Amino acid sequence: MNVLHSMAQGFSVALTPLNLLLAFSGALVGTLVGVLPGIGPITGVAILVPLTYAMKLPPESAIILLAGIYYGAMYGGSTTSILLNVPGETASVVTTLDGYQMARQGRAGAALAIAAIGSFVAGTMSVVGLMLFGPYLAKWAIRFGPAEYLALMVFAFSMISTLAGKNLAKALIATFLGLAFATVGLDPGSAVPRYTYGQMKLYDGMDFLVVAIGLFAISEVLVLLEETHTGQVVTAEMGKVWITFKEFLFSIGAVFRGSLLGFFIGVLPGAGASIASFISYTLEKRVSDRNGTFGKGDIRGVAGPESANNAAAGGALIPLLTMGIPGSGTTAILLGTLMGMNVVPGPLMFQQHPKVVWGLVASMYVGNVMLLILNLPLVKLFVKILLVPRWILLPAVTAISFIGVYSVNNSPFDLLLMAGFGLLGYLMRKMDFPLAPVILGLVLGEMMEKNLRRALSISGGEWGYLFQSSISITLWILAAVSLFTPLLFRKLKAVKDEAVTGEEEL
Amino acid sequence: MTDRLTGGLLLVLSLGYAYQARSFDVGFMADPIGPKAMPFIIAAFMFLFSLYLVIRPDPEPDWPVRRVWVNKGLVLLSFVLYAYALVPLGFLLSTTLQVTFLAVMFKGKIWKGLAAAVVASLVLYSIFVLLLGIPLPVGKIW
Repeated sequence: MNVLHSMAQGFSVALTPLNLLLAFSGALVGTLVGVLPGIGPITGVAILVPLTYAMKLPPESAIILLAGIYYGAMYGGSTTSILLNVPGETASVVTTLDGYQMARQGRAGAALAIAAIGSFVAGTMSVVGLMLFGPYLAKWAIRFGPAEYLALMVFAFSMISTLAGKNLAKALIATFLGLAFATVGLDPGSAVPRYTYGQMKLYDGMDFLVVAIGLFAISEVLVLLEETHTGQVVTAEMGKVWITFKEFLFSIGAVFRGSLLGFFIGVLPGAGASIASFISYTLEKRVSDRNGTFGKGDIRGVAGPESANNAAAGGALIPLLTMGIPGSGTTAILLGTLMGMNVVPGPLMFQQHPKVVWGLVASMYVGNVMLLILNLPLVKLFVKILLVPRWILLPAVTAISFIGVYSVNNSPFDLLLMAGFGLLGYLMRKMDFPLAPVILGLVLGEMMEKNLRRALSISGGEWGYLFQSSISITLWILAAVSLFTPLLFRKLKAVKDEAVTGEEEL
Repeated sequence: MTDRLTGGLLLVLSLGYAYQARSFDVGFMADPIGPKAMPFIIAAFMFLFSLYLVIRPDPEPDWPVRRVWVNKGLVLLSFVLYAYALVPLGFLLSTTLQVTFLAVMFKGKIWKGLAAAVVASLVLYSIFVLLLGIPLPVGKIW
């Protein structure tokens, strides 16, 4: 496939006025979502998906808007990490370590600038990676039959369960809860109603958006009811958002290391932006910290992880687009949205929906440029948002969530369902159950069952068929290894758990 | 203790989940395992991991004090009422009430909260209905 030709086609999609406007709005809303603590990218994306349906956007425009929110949030999260020592979302937790120190030394401007530049470089590199590896991976994945897909999904589930929470048993329970929710509704194979209890409204199954908004947004409101402090105060002096050429040269190595690392971590299912930023910080400290400056305001401690989390967000799109396997809660919602628009990601995606794929890739370039010009001058304005008192902000977010949920099916029943999942999400958060696996299980459950049944139809009910081809055997082994010997991950998890308490994996 | 109770509850739920799956009968089986198999598999794993939770529970989470629980209960109740009020009262009125109530719950003053709620409802209505063309209920009592 001619990559340049494809890119030209992509830009012709991304540069239409509507899509430019959507990329801009996405980046803007995403930055706001990232700046506000408590509202993560997954909530932002989930609330806005129903609107893309209701506005009848074509799939490529919808995905451009949502992806804009996704990486805008990545970027916005780092702003508050640096200025206030408050990470807007998990992927920017490590940014606080050196970023906030820099801000206290009056170098906030340089930290914000390198975060922007690093994100831009990383975004660009992951776009190049997607162009190079995407079609290749798609060609390889085309040989996957139902048995191989089933094994791949099991692998993705075991990865996300291993990485998502502190307690593996709880993460696995969350995954199977999601799979159980996915069985509600008419069975696609035989049209038998399952777990509908006579409710006609459940025949179509539970909409993943209603579940996601309930689990993430509503439960967050319930959690925040407990907190007593009322607002943040901007303490750090910002200065000008710019860095000297010397500082730039000093940190460019960290940017490239972070980008490369982040990209490959992002490609793995289950390991998203947060883990990429944690590993990048650990690595950068080991490689560069010769004078013990890390943790005391070293610019490379901002450059590395900030590049890594953006690269990972891009890398995560590869398994999503080529195999239909999301690596995180947010990408699971993107997958569900595409499937809702009859665009089923998979090996044929590059041939059947080139407009969606290459339009998205091109809009990532465009979006990165927009974030750069949006953020450098406007960062002071964004931080002002934090001055809005909670008693206005949170009720308003709740009202927007209601609109989102209601407009999925124009059904008040969904609002009840949402309230129920809000309570469930609250209890799960309190008890340290991770939430992202529930969404992943719900979105992938039907496909998983389909592939299982298709595989057994091929073999005439012989279960051994699931473990026959070398690809599926490899994937089953990988799944088992990632579950039962998490030695490789234990240390990374320890680093992560130390810094993150009760936060949700993206 | 919380984990033990939850584990126990999940054990019962997974049994119930599997029990109900027994009745998913189809006359004509398009595939060898039919609609029952997946629920059975899920229930089996769920049972296993819940058992683990009962045997090896985590330390107790820090639950809020009773007063906060009452507030949470009221907020959840208001969400349920909103679901029933939305169509008859319409988006503008029910959202104004809901946002005012939440503002008070988040320790805002009631009059300021009401003012914010009226503004928020009108702004959201203008954006979503007038600008983006998303239909929201207008209400049946007018």
